[in-house]
Amino acid sequence: MLLSLAAGLFATPAWAEKPIELAQRAEMDRVRAEVAGEIHLSAFDLVDELVYGWSSEPVFPEPTPVVLAGVSVPVGLGTGLQALIENHLSAVLGANPTSNVQLAHCPQCTAMVVHSGPEGTVVTRGIDNPRALADLGAATGQHALFVDIEAEGAWLVLRARITRLTPALPIVWSHTLSTSANTPALLREPKGLKSAAEAREEYIDALHGRGPIAVPLRVTIRSYKRPPPSNGGIGPPPFVWLQSGVEIATTDAHAWTTSIVAGFTWAPDTYQGVLGQVRINRLLTGRVRSRTKPNLHAFVGAAVITVWGPATQPFQENPITSDDILALADMSGPRFAFGAFHAGLDLRVGNRIGMSTFLEMIPHLAQSPNLGDYVRVGSIGFPAIGTEVTLWF
Amino acid sequence: MEIVILFALTILPMLLPPDPAPGLSRSKERSRSMDCIRISAEEASAHYPGQVITSDGRGDYVERTAMICRQRLMRPGLRDARDEAVLNALDATTLNLATSAEARRPDLREHTWLVDAYYPNAKVGSKITFSTKNALMGLGLQVADRTLALNATEVEIIQRLHPDEAYPAACRRYAENGTLGKEDALLAVVSRDRRATVLHAGLCVDGVWAWIE
Repeated sequence: MLLSLAAGLFATPAWAEKPIELAQRAEMDRVRAEVAGEIHLSAFDLVDELVYGWSSEPVFPEPTPVVLAGVSVPVGLGTGLQALIENHLSAVLGANPTSNVQLAHCPQCTAMVVHSGPEGTVVTRGIDNPRALADLGAATGQHALFVDIEAEGAWLVLRARITRLTPALPIVWSHTLSTSANTPALLREPKGLKSAAEAREEYIDALHGRGPIAVPLRVTIRSYKRPPPSNGGIGPPPFVWLQSGVEIATTDAHAWTTSIVAGFTWAPDTYQGVLGQVRINRLLTGRVRSRTKPNLHAFVGAAVITVWGPATQPFQENPITSDDILALADMSGPRFAFGAFHAGLDLRVGNRIGMSTFLEMIPHLAQSPNLGDYVRVGSIGFPAIGTEVTLWF
Repeated sequence: MEIVILFALTILPMLLPPDPAPGLSRSKERSRSMDCIRISAEEASAHYPGQVITSDGRGDYVERTAMICRQRLMRPGLRDARDEAVLNALDATTLNLATSAEARRPDLREHTWLVDAYYPNAKVGSKITFSTKNALMGLGLQVADRTLALNATEVEIIQRLHPDEAYPAACRRYAENGTLGKEDALLAVVSRDRRATVLHAGLCVDGVWAWIE
């Protein structure tokens, strides 16, 4: 009421003071849009920070319906920015139920209501007159959230308060946040909001590990299924491989990566071997590789393996005979080369260490009586299972 | 010739003043669009590591300061000049008014504080109210969102009074019509002169009006 009194005392309409040419008005609108474009990410950042604060230290002990009573934007900017911020606030609150703030629909709260009582007829917004709200059947005792964003010099300031919709209209919580115009927006994901300190740490980690090329150092154990006793029951021993090469990401998201590695294996008087391997990895947990949480990848790949030594005899296509065993007496052993295809899962932590497992098929030895199958899918058998531990540099 | 050189040397600092002051190479508009504060070199070094020299390694007995300038968010001319001045210092102004009110009447700590702003631009007025409420909440006071009301006749009468009489009269009526209770305190933030950017504050308790600032 007194606002209108003050307005009557002091104000004359702005348009009456200085007529603005059409071109000037268009230019003003252009500048307004430019400013709104510059600050809307910072405003989103403040809204994220607000909801993050509620998630860290909830205002309410349990999920509580709250009416979004009003969002105001810097004086001089239009309602477009207001709608953007309202939508963003709703989206972030929806994605963060741990904030315990549940937006509630209350059309009576924001509508103008006319209420007549012993004190007279009062025209207000419903939210300013809880008695009128009660008469209209709206739930009383709800809470109303007011958000105000203002440009103060080089600072963008967000103020928020929550009021309980009882006749006394007590403010139960308020907070003020600010960010400078020069501060880059954190551009947080709506889910899993982080504090500025956590975001900075993640950013620095990202800078340290951003390169698209990484060098893996991998220890792999390949175990081969022994054939059934009817086929002699002599299978290859487990092979321990040391591998290294390069892994290349197609984008910074690291959703798709490919690796090319070479490796060797050696066991005294038993076997030796070298391999070359290519692999394609696909991130399964999200669209972007997380810097802080474990990432699970699926992969498929192919390898060319050559092994030699006394213990490699089971890689021959024919059944092992006593003559074959006697021929091993000179300790040189035969040499075998074959191709293999594998598929598996890779769990990486901190993008520095990882553990993976895979099944491998060897088409060349598909009918070999010297190898069994760990898993058989239709006519395709997987005689080898592998486990890897990898370090990335 | 010497006089010319001496004259040139004299006016050179005025033509090429240090950034961000306007000069030959910088326009007044650019300087006016900046929001600058001067802080110690040590503090600046903490905020901008590697960009500010705090002192020579061996000590040079020079006291250094740093001027930190940021571009203002709103372009000149987008808002009324007076609104711009009030809004630029809104946080500091309202905090100052709230602190003054609380310090002046410590006996009102248990009261419920109400806030109203009397400013020509309603949008700016609502922002002043919002900021003042948050400032009072920050001081640990109980604040309510209730708005005080006068009937149409009272408004018509009060509008005709001189501001020095209007605010006390409105305060008295708030108490008499019951909208301002015994346990309530109204902090009113007032713009008394349309040519001034300073905001004043008055306190209304038990129907008695008192200016704070």
